[in-house]
Amino acid sequence: MRIKEVIEILKGKVICGKDSLNTEVKMACGCDLMSHVLAFIKHDNTLLLTGLTTSQAIYIADAVNIKAICFVRGKQPVEETIALAKERGMILIAVDIPMYEACGRLYQRGLVGCSEYEHKG
Amino acid sequence: MGGYIKEVSWGVPNMSTKAKVSPTKTQELAYEFKVKDAMTAEIISVSPKNTMDDVRKLLQNERISGLPVLDRGKLVGIISIDNFIDCIMSGRIDEIVENNMTTKVESLYSDEPLIHAISKFDKLGYGRFPVLEHETGKLVGVITKGDIIKCLLQKLEINYHMEEIQRYRASHIFEDIKSDKTTLTLNYKIKGGDYKHAGEQSGYLKVNLLRLGISPPVARRVIVASCEAEMNIIIFSKGGEISARVEEDRIRVNAIDNGPGIEDIKKAMQPGFSTAPDWVREMGFGAGMGLPNIENCADEMKIDSKPGEGTNLEFSVFMER
Amino acid sequence: MKMKLTDIVTNLDLEIKAGHDLLDREVTGGFVSDILSSVLTHAESGNIWVTYQRHLNIVPIAGAKEISGIIVVSGRQLDKETLEKADEEQIPILGTSMDAFQVVGKLYRMGIRGSDENV
Repeated sequence: MRIKEVIEILKGKVICGKDSLNTEVKMACGCDLMSHVLAFIKHDNTLLLTGLTTSQAIYIADAVNIKAICFVRGKQPVEETIALAKERGMILIAVDIPMYEACGRLYQRGLVGCSEYEHKG
Repeated sequence: MGGYIKEVSWGVPNMSTKAKVSPTKTQELAYEFKVKDAMTAEIISVSPKNTMDDVRKLLQNERISGLPVLDRGKLVGIISIDNFIDCIMSGRIDEIVENNMTTKVESLYSDEPLIHAISKFDKLGYGRFPVLEHETGKLVGVITKGDIIKCLLQKLEINYHMEEIQRYRASHIFEDIKSDKTTLTLNYKIKGGDYKHAGEQSGYLKVNLLRLGISPPVARRVIVASCEAEMNIIIFSKGGEISARVEEDRIRVNAIDNGPGIEDIKKAMQPGFSTAPDWVREMGFGAGMGLPNIENCADEMKIDSKPGEGTNLEFSVFMER
Repeated sequence: MKMKLTDIVTNLDLEIKAGHDLLDREVTGGFVSDILSSVLTHAESGNIWVTYQRHLNIVPIAGAKEISGIIVVSGRQLDKETLEKADEEQIPILGTSMDAFQVVGKLYRMGIRGSDENV
């Protein structure tokens, strides 16, 4: 699924990375726990959905090569977070809906979670 | 040429070029290039008949720590701040260079590989070495640590696609690089309780590993493990250090802190077991996955920790052949 | 027609870890979060709560918000103390090896919506 489709489905706003909206993501992970992100994201092309808008989210996401982050429930990242994301060429999106809705809608449209992606191979 | 590097704007290799680069590109370059490629040919020197006062003026004005002594173009000694101090201490201020210089001079040849220079700097701890021409023994230049770094930087830049990203400041990396014949060490200091920057230092390590030509899958495993180690230092201790050694066949990382130490290492290795306080979990940390995750990422791991004595976590990721 | 916990258990093939006799409860909506303060602020009574967290505190939090049940994801194991507390406080806990994204996706497909769907 391309990021621009994600934005359409979730009625999101691009915070940065608008030149890369054709980037493809193959799976999604929704979580706020940084250690979860580190432990479970094993593939590139993963979309991270989270409510954590601080710089750590960027550092940790970068460690596992996440290229796109979607902040849920109307959370807005601060300037510093955005700057760090821009430095790393990441795409940041913000949506008003809660995590549950965001995950549900994306799943309906065919995006899978990390464990399902691994089983499919 | 100064002895240290100030702000250098850095870059990140183009991530889309997944072509495999041989590991430790910097080491390759250090073997490939010669001392003459990095040295300064402009030499400030004194003769054996100069006075110590002349030496004082030069050391002060040029802000250097030592001068080669040339007698009719031939290197006969080195006069340094230490010699100068000895001279003053024994009250011999009107003395001449000849009577105070060190005659046993450590030097390098212009056609030696740069790696020898790096080795020598590390072993002897001097600030600079005179460079001699092999055939004639003539002094042809001077080389400092800063010269080597500038040279390698320039060569590395030619071999990679770079995007200038201003905020990636590289100066701190080179201050922390030590090198002997076959390894390169990168050091990162971690501040305890510094949640805001959790993962930041591992990010710098990532840039450096990729820049050194470490393959992305190997670098990824090192970085994920390093991130976990960094978080542990932040959560549990007052601070520590992550030290990554690029060795011939592996990247070896030591995460050291003076924190409380791990009471039960076996328990700590269980997924989900956490001694982190609740408020830490509210921030998104402390889910108890750190050590098990490190074990998953690394090929080898060992923990040296005793309550009250801090922790030294060491893990290694083997490089691909 | 409102969904019941037992429908969810069947549909998602969940493992019942606590509250075996409470599965007749109705589910008003879904909520996914690992941050307890977020649950306290946004979850609604009767919601089914999907989380990666497995420590003891999830039980009193669920009780405070009248959560109908907790689904613990990614095969996370709960300790005896937590499960006993859950039975005591009457909070059903269901387990699965699926990750949160997939669990939420399947619940959504069943028709269980998020708590502030219209936001």
